[in-house]
Amino acid sequence: MSRITFAFKKLTKKRSGRLDKKWDFDAQSPISSSPIVADIDGDGNKEIIFGTKKGKLFVLDTQAGIKWFYDSNENVDEVELMFLDVESASSIEAPPNVADLNGDGRNEVVFGTELGFVYVLDDNGGLIWKYKTEGPIRGQILLYDLYEDGDIKVIFGCGDNKLYVLNSKGKEVWRFDAGSPIHSTPGIMHKDKPMIVFGTSDGSVLCVDRKGDMVWKFKTGGEVFAQPAIGNLFNDDRVFIIIGSNDNYLYVLDEAGELFWKYRTEGAVLAKACLADINNDNKLEILFGSCDNNVYALTPYGDKLWSYETDFWVANEPIVADIDGDGRKEVIVGSYDHNLYVLDCEGSYVLDYVPGLSGVVHQAGHYSDIMTKEPGKVTGKKIWQFKADGIIVGCAYLPDENSIVVNTRPGVVDDLVHKEE
Amino acid sequence: MAGIISSKSEIKRIPLYIQGLDENIEGGVPEGHIVLVSGSAGTMKSSITFNILFNEALKGKVGVYCSLEQSYDSIIQQMVNMNFDMSRVNLVIIKDLAELRTAINKMKSVGNGGLVIVDIGCIRKEIRDVKIADNRSWLNVIKNVVKKIKEEVDCKLFCLDSLSALYVLSRFENPRIELFYLFEFLRDLEITSFLISECQPQSDKYSEFEIEEFLSDGIIHLRLTPFRRNVVREISVVKMRATACNNDIFSLEYKHNKFQALYGGQNPLL
Repeated sequence: MSRITFAFKKLTKKRSGRLDKKWDFDAQSPISSSPIVADIDGDGNKEIIFGTKKGKLFVLDTQAGIKWFYDSNENVDEVELMFLDVESASSIEAPPNVADLNGDGRNEVVFGTELGFVYVLDDNGGLIWKYKTEGPIRGQILLYDLYEDGDIKVIFGCGDNKLYVLNSKGKEVWRFDAGSPIHSTPGIMHKDKPMIVFGTSDGSVLCVDRKGDMVWKFKTGGEVFAQPAIGNLFNDDRVFIIIGSNDNYLYVLDEAGELFWKYRTEGAVLAKACLADINNDNKLEILFGSCDNNVYALTPYGDKLWSYETDFWVANEPIVADIDGDGRKEVIVGSYDHNLYVLDCEGSYVLDYVPGLSGVVHQAGHYSDIMTKEPGKVTGKKIWQFKADGIIVGCAYLPDENSIVVNTRPGVVDDLVHKEE
Repeated sequence: MAGIISSKSEIKRIPLYIQGLDENIEGGVPEGHIVLVSGSAGTMKSSITFNILFNEALKGKVGVYCSLEQSYDSIIQQMVNMNFDMSRVNLVIIKDLAELRTAINKMKSVGNGGLVIVDIGCIRKEIRDVKIADNRSWLNVIKNVVKKIKEEVDCKLFCLDSLSALYVLSRFENPRIELFYLFEFLRDLEITSFLISECQPQSDKYSEFEIEEFLSDGIIHLRLTPFRRNVVREISVVKMRATACNNDIFSLEYKHNKFQALYGGQNPLL
C-alpha cells in the first residue's frame, strides 16, 4: 500500500495493515478444538493450552515453546480396545479448562478424553487425580464454585447420558441422568442460586439445580452440541440462555426455559455464541457461526444486524477484540474454509438503490414500497483474512501479545498478529 | 489411495463365480467396489458371497467373512454340504478377540491367501461379561478386526453377513451419516466388500434405510419367484458402477458344484 493510501485510510479512520503469522507450532496430531489462554503457574505470563486427537495436552508459552505436555494415553486391554474407534480412542475433543482447585494459588488444568477419563493436572503437568466415566467426554469441563463454599466443582456432561458433578478432589457429588448423551459443554445460569444448563443429543436443553434436580427442559428439533451462552442481553436483571441446535436454529430462552425468540439459519449451529456489545448500545449483541457458512450478528431482539458468508462451515465461537489497537473492536472467527476472518463489528451499509426521484423512477413495484423500504442493508464487512493450512477448529485471543492463536484440524497452531504495512 | 486410471483395461475385476452372469458384467465386480447383496431368506445370498471369497482364496487372496448371527460351524456345514472342499483353503476362524493376533500370525505363516471367518455371535458370547459403554462399539469391533487383518495380511475381500444384523446390534441414530462413514471406511481400506442385506419377499426395497442403495457401488438382487408349485431362484444385477452390465433377471441354479445364471431375461417356466 502506498504511503498516500495509508495516510488517507488513517485520516478516514479506515483500517489498514494485514494479519501476519508470528509463529506456528506443529502438534504432530490433528486437533479438534480451540486453545485456551491462561496463566496457570502464576508467573504473570500467559500460557496456551490445548489437547490433540492423539491424547496429548500441550502447554506452550507465548513464543511457541513447549512448557510441558501430558500424554493421556491409557493402557487399554486389547479386547477392550477392539470396541473403540482406535483413531480417536484417546482424543481430547474439547478445550481444557483451568482453575485453582486446591487453593495453592496456582491453576490446575482439567480436561476430558474420548476414553471417558477426566484428568486434573498441576501447573507442571503432574497428575493430581483422574476420574473414569462410562462414555466419551466431548464437551469442555466446567469449573465452578457451585455451592459458593470455596470448593470449585468439576462439572461435565458425558456420552453415558450423565451430567457429573465432582468435588475438587475428584469425589462424585452427584450425577444426573439426562436420558441421552451429553456432548454439549455445560453453562452456569446464576440467578439467585447457580444452575447448570446444557444440551443433549436428543435435542433437549436442560436446566438442573445444584442438588441435581431438573428445573426445566426445552426441546429443540435437533441434537444440541453447542455450549449455551448465558447473559443479561438487555443489561437488566433478566438472564437469557442462547444456544444453537442441529435443527438450524439459534434459540434464546428466558431463565424459566421459555422461548424468547429463535433465529433460523440454513445450517446446524454447532458452536457457542459470543455475547458482546458491538455497537455501544449498552445491550449485548449475539455473534455466532452456522453450517450455512455464515457468521451472524443479531440484536438482543433477534433481528439481524449483519451476516458475513465464508466458503464453508463456521463451527467455532467468534471472538470480539481490538487486534489493531485503534480503539474499535473487531469480530474474529475461523471457518472450515481454512480462513480466519476479521470482520468489522458494525458491518457496512450497502445501498440497493439511491434514494430520491431516480430511485423511485427506476424501481419496480408499488410506489409505497419504495417510500417505506430501506434503501439498503447492512452486511458483514471483512477487514482482514488469513489462510491457514487446514480447517480452523477454534481460536483464542492472547491479550498481552494482542495476537490470535488459531488451532487447525491438521494439528498446526498459528499465532497471528496485526501488522501495519 | 489408488491413482486415477486412464483406460478401461486398467479396471481390475473380481468374478462373482456365477457362470452366465460374469459374462454379462464385463467379467465381475470392479476391485474396491462395495456391493449390496440383497434378497429374502433362502435366496443363497450367503452362499454366493462365500463362494466368491472361497474361490479368490484359492487364487491366493485373503478374504474376511464376518458373520454376525450364523455361527462359523453352521456356515462351514452349509458349504461342505454344497461340496465345498474346505481343506483346499487356508481357513482361519476368529471366535475370540483375544485370539486375533494368533489367528493373524497363523494366516501369515501359511501365506498364499486364505479365508478368515469372524464369528461375531461367538465373540459376543465369549465376552458377555465385558462392560460395553455404548452398544455402537460392535461396529468398531468389526472395523478394527478388518483393519487389523488388512494391515497384517493385506486382505482384499470382505463380506458382512449381514447389514440387517448389524442394525440390530448397533443402534444407528443417524443412519445416513453413520452409513456414509462405514462405506467410506471400507473404501479407504481399498477392499472389495459384499454387504448382505436381508429384505422381505416381494419388497421393492434392497436395504433397510434405502440409503445403502445409493452409497453402494453395486446391487445384486436375489429373489424367489413362485410359479404354480415351483419356486425359482432368480438373480439380477440392479446396479454396478463402472460396468456395462446386463440388468436382466436370470435364473440362479447351483449345479455341478457351480453357480449358474440361466435364461437371461426370460422366465424359464413359461
